[in-house]
Amino acid sequence: MGWFTGGVSEEDKLDLTASREVLARAFRLLGPYRAKAIRSFVLLVLWTGTVLAGPYLVGRSIDSGIRAGDRAALNTSVAGYLAAAIAGYFLYRGAVITLARVGENFLRDMRRSVFDRLLDQSMSFYDREKAGVLVSRMTSDIDSLSELIQFGLLMFTAALLQLVGTTVFLMFMSWKLMLVCLVAIPIVGIASRKFQRDSNRAFLDVRNRIGTTLSALQEGISGVRIVQAFAREDLEAERFSETNQELFESHMASVKVAAWYLPIVEAAGTITTAVAIGYGGWLVRDGQLSIGVVVAFILLLQGLFEPVQQLSQLFNLVQSATASLDKLFGLLDEPIEVDAPLDPVAFPDRGEISVRGVGFAYSGGPAVLSGVDITIGAGERVAFVGPTGAGKSTLAKLVARFYDPTEGAITFGGVDLRAGSPSDLRQRVVVVPQEGYLFAGTIGDNIRIACPTATDAEVRAALEKIGVLDRIDAFENGLDTEVREGGSRLSGGERQLVSLARAALADPAVLVLDEATSSLDPGTEQIVERALESLMTGRTVIAIAHRLSTSQRCDRVAVIDGGGIIELGTHDELVAAGGPYAALFASWERGLAGTDATP
Amino acid sequence: MPDKAEEKATHPKSPGWILLRQALVDQKAGLFVGMLLALGWTAARILVPRFIQLGIDRGIQGDDPLWLWATLIVLAGVVSGVFLGFRRMAAFRNARLIEARYRDRLFAHIQRLHMAYHDETATGELMSRANTDLQMFQNVVTMVPITTGNVLIVIGVVIIMMWTNPVLALLALVGLPAVSILGRRFSSRLHPSLLGIQRESAELAGVVEESITGIRAVKGFGSAPVQSAKLAVEADDVFNESMDAAYVRANYLPAIELMPNLGLVVVLAYGGHLVINGTISVGELVGFNLYVLMLIQPLRMLGTVVAQGQRAIAAGERISEVLSTAPAITDPPRPKSLPKRSGGGSVSFEQVVFSYGSAGSTTVPVLDGITFHIEPGESVAFVGATGCGKSTVAHLVPRFYDAVAGSIKLDGIDVRQLRRQELRRAVSIVFEDTFLFSGTIRDNISFANPDAKLTEVRQAAMRAGALDFIEELELGFDTPLGGRGLSLSGGQRQRIAIARAVLADPRVLILDDATSAVDPSKEHEIRGAMAEVMDGRTTIVIAHRPATIALADRVVLLDEGRIVATGDHAELLATNERYRSILATGTEPELDPDAVAVDGGDR
Repeated sequence: MGWFTGGVSEEDKLDLTASREVLARAFRLLGPYRAKAIRSFVLLVLWTGTVLAGPYLVGRSIDSGIRAGDRAALNTSVAGYLAAAIAGYFLYRGAVITLARVGENFLRDMRRSVFDRLLDQSMSFYDREKAGVLVSRMTSDIDSLSELIQFGLLMFTAALLQLVGTTVFLMFMSWKLMLVCLVAIPIVGIASRKFQRDSNRAFLDVRNRIGTTLSALQEGISGVRIVQAFAREDLEAERFSETNQELFESHMASVKVAAWYLPIVEAAGTITTAVAIGYGGWLVRDGQLSIGVVVAFILLLQGLFEPVQQLSQLFNLVQSATASLDKLFGLLDEPIEVDAPLDPVAFPDRGEISVRGVGFAYSGGPAVLSGVDITIGAGERVAFVGPTGAGKSTLAKLVARFYDPTEGAITFGGVDLRAGSPSDLRQRVVVVPQEGYLFAGTIGDNIRIACPTATDAEVRAALEKIGVLDRIDAFENGLDTEVREGGSRLSGGERQLVSLARAALADPAVLVLDEATSSLDPGTEQIVERALESLMTGRTVIAIAHRLSTSQRCDRVAVIDGGGIIELGTHDELVAAGGPYAALFASWERGLAGTDATP
Repeated sequence: MPDKAEEKATHPKSPGWILLRQALVDQKAGLFVGMLLALGWTAARILVPRFIQLGIDRGIQGDDPLWLWATLIVLAGVVSGVFLGFRRMAAFRNARLIEARYRDRLFAHIQRLHMAYHDETATGELMSRANTDLQMFQNVVTMVPITTGNVLIVIGVVIIMMWTNPVLALLALVGLPAVSILGRRFSSRLHPSLLGIQRESAELAGVVEESITGIRAVKGFGSAPVQSAKLAVEADDVFNESMDAAYVRANYLPAIELMPNLGLVVVLAYGGHLVINGTISVGELVGFNLYVLMLIQPLRMLGTVVAQGQRAIAAGERISEVLSTAPAITDPPRPKSLPKRSGGGSVSFEQVVFSYGSAGSTTVPVLDGITFHIEPGESVAFVGATGCGKSTVAHLVPRFYDAVAGSIKLDGIDVRQLRRQELRRAVSIVFEDTFLFSGTIRDNISFANPDAKLTEVRQAAMRAGALDFIEELELGFDTPLGGRGLSLSGGQRQRIAIARAVLADPRVLILDDATSAVDPSKEHEIRGAMAEVMDGRTTIVIAHRPATIALADRVVLLDEGRIVATGDHAELLATNERYRSILATGTEPELDPDAVAVDGGDR
């Protein structure tokens, strides 16, 4: 007996037309598996036939074999029954496999295409959407689909076929008796409807409470140091107990809904059987019906009410899967803002970057940049300096085409960034983000993320070039050290080194460097500085600088404030000019004279 | 592997068994009621086919009034329904009660377990003890009344069939035990596949999660194709595991369906001839048919229950492992009290040796005979390279761990002679990673003393330099944090953590690397708060930024678990080469105009 807790919240529930559209689209998406889907349906129809055949043959053998004393006719029916049972075995087996193959293939395609679509989206999409929601599309929404495919779809289809098949079959055998047997329908109908509505609400509540309890649990465990530090163990246990009690009560509420549905449907089934005996018996006595037909009726009725139950229980699951499918289709339909043109122009290997009259506003927001002009020569290093939120990172991200400018144009080697393909651009312009983000896998895997085909020797050469090979070799397993689960925890500085090594391996013409704001662990900082220096050598560099040492190391400094470049020149020029940059520099020097003095 | 574990777990003296037995004994009243209801349900249910049989023989083919048998069938159906409903309520209630109680127990126990245990145990592991393991456990409790009913049905049906016609009964029943055996095998074969799907799905979710949270790195290095290929591999793995599960279903479900059908064929084949011979009646033939149908579900469930029971016992074993771990840091049998005093307390370490890991292991000591004394009201900074033991000093004072040798005294009393509650009220700590709980800002600040008045909370917030930004929030102190609440900056979180420590008005305040996770351009804000709360209070500061260290009256330089120098910041800076080299890194001021302006103005 499956207890599916697939509740759907009211706002997620689709109306009939929308559900039909979603299902039709899903069917179209099946593509090559469509034939298999139809085949599995046919197998199930045939299987339903074998299920109905058994009771029918029992009834028939009573009439034409047993009561007539005709042993041959009895044996024929027995042989038929045996054949039906064996055929049923193979049909059922075939249906399970075929349906699973269709469903699992569909799921696999869905996982891949939704994920690829996500990766193709521009940064503005990620600014807009919450990471947690996007992850849940790929996890809980796909899971609710997969739950349906693994547990529900076969049962749902089979139950539906059995219900319809049995009803139609019984009508053919004796419409009079069947009509009278339908007296139980209102009871079952009302109970089913009530169950569906109440159970949806109850299961949804249970699911929410489980979520609350689990997060309370998690909070209590991961905050245990604080709890103990402030001697709050008892209070926290009490607090948790309240949450836990609410979950228990929610469970009990759902039990009240679920506990009575099954008995009601079962009782309705028994009542129908009684009707078949009473009214069917009368029809037999009256000579209108044979006893075999009544027996077949009684046996078939046993299989009529189980599908009703299954359908009611699975209905929520189907609903929530449809709602999830709708959300996934929504993601697939999301337009991609930064896309490759149909006929992309190839970028030259090197070239100057030219920003002309560029303005930018985040979707719907106020202008962050307007009328920006700057030309950065091949191999030149430019530092972008300015207060937080003044637009320096935005400008750097536009050069890397994380976004497209809302006005003006940016060219690389004379080619408009929008005219080429994003992946081609990424071979030439690499962005090193603030934090050295690590992916699951080894250090080597992490360095290779920009060039997955690089050999170990190439990775080592790249590390050597920026002078961090010794540092990586110092790890227990060198390049093969796992960085996440069960591996060494890398410090912030070491993560930065991995990040720089990625860029070194990618060997791009242009490096966009988003400097970390937080300081690194002592001991790594100097290595990072040296690695950075050798990485910058021979490349065009745009550095979003937070440290003076970085801006001093660049050929030119662009001070960005109020959505535009307000000062541009070499470090010395700007200091001499006595403008905003000079003021920054002066206050930094005052700071140096204070307690923070270092030799 | 799982098979081995299951085998071991079924041993009657295994902790899993003991726990399950105890859980069942705790619920014996409820379970007894559940079993009684199951008995009633069984009796009524078994009567139905019997009434149908008599209805056919004596009603349709005989002279009995038809309505009599019809009414009896309806009655039996309704009575069985009522019993079934109550039985289900009772079963679920018992199970959920056990689940809730054990979850409470687990949580309370986990809260009291010593820090060293938590260092070694992943959060996720404890989570699954209190979640999935408990689910499996409660599942079996649900099964108790259901299984009772099922066993009774099987016994009752077999007796009735044997009594009617033993030969036909044996023929009909011969294939049915296979339903149980197949059911059991199905459940234990399917289980690893389901775990496999779970595992592979989690791995797939890992790729999704890392790609989305690390989207900047993915985009920046153009590694979308790499991540896409990773996901494709994971999607294939999920596919393969799912297909394995589908094949297990395909191998067992149709067979489980086939066995009773074969029984029915036999009933018709042999029973049909018996009717022709006049040995049994048509009604009895139909009754046999119905009884075989009635056995399918219980037999299948009996098979599953064995497999589920084994898993539940294995789960119980894991649960009892947590519950039977005794907290290592306990209150002394005859606790002493701290002397009454206002303001700071004194802290002294005498020849303290400490090493992580289990006692007796030959690990290198983290602290190797440390001796120092901190006067009331004095602030001392502990400085040293990563791994020198400075954080350990901070964690030993509130007795998160016990020293291996030597003693640690607070106001002259060994910390092991104090009740933990009293000790930890007297010592407050601010950690490097500020953990805030979901709840309001006020809840978080008044964590040490939930009864604190708003004025006290405000006072603490003010001293921690948090009042201004809290009051700027629309809901002020009632602003919810965490989960769907407000996300604060690192500096703001840290100031709330400081306010939380200050509210307890501790004798000793420990700032354990409290500024290192904060953006350096914002560190000056925290530094101001720290200077304020340290004023006149005994404070232990763990830091590596010079400006923070300079706040302390005295500096202790640690190296490889030993004290190598003490003195004030300027003194050490002038005289100690090692001290200079440790501070030389990570100290360059930042080029954030806001920070520069404020810092510059201060000086």
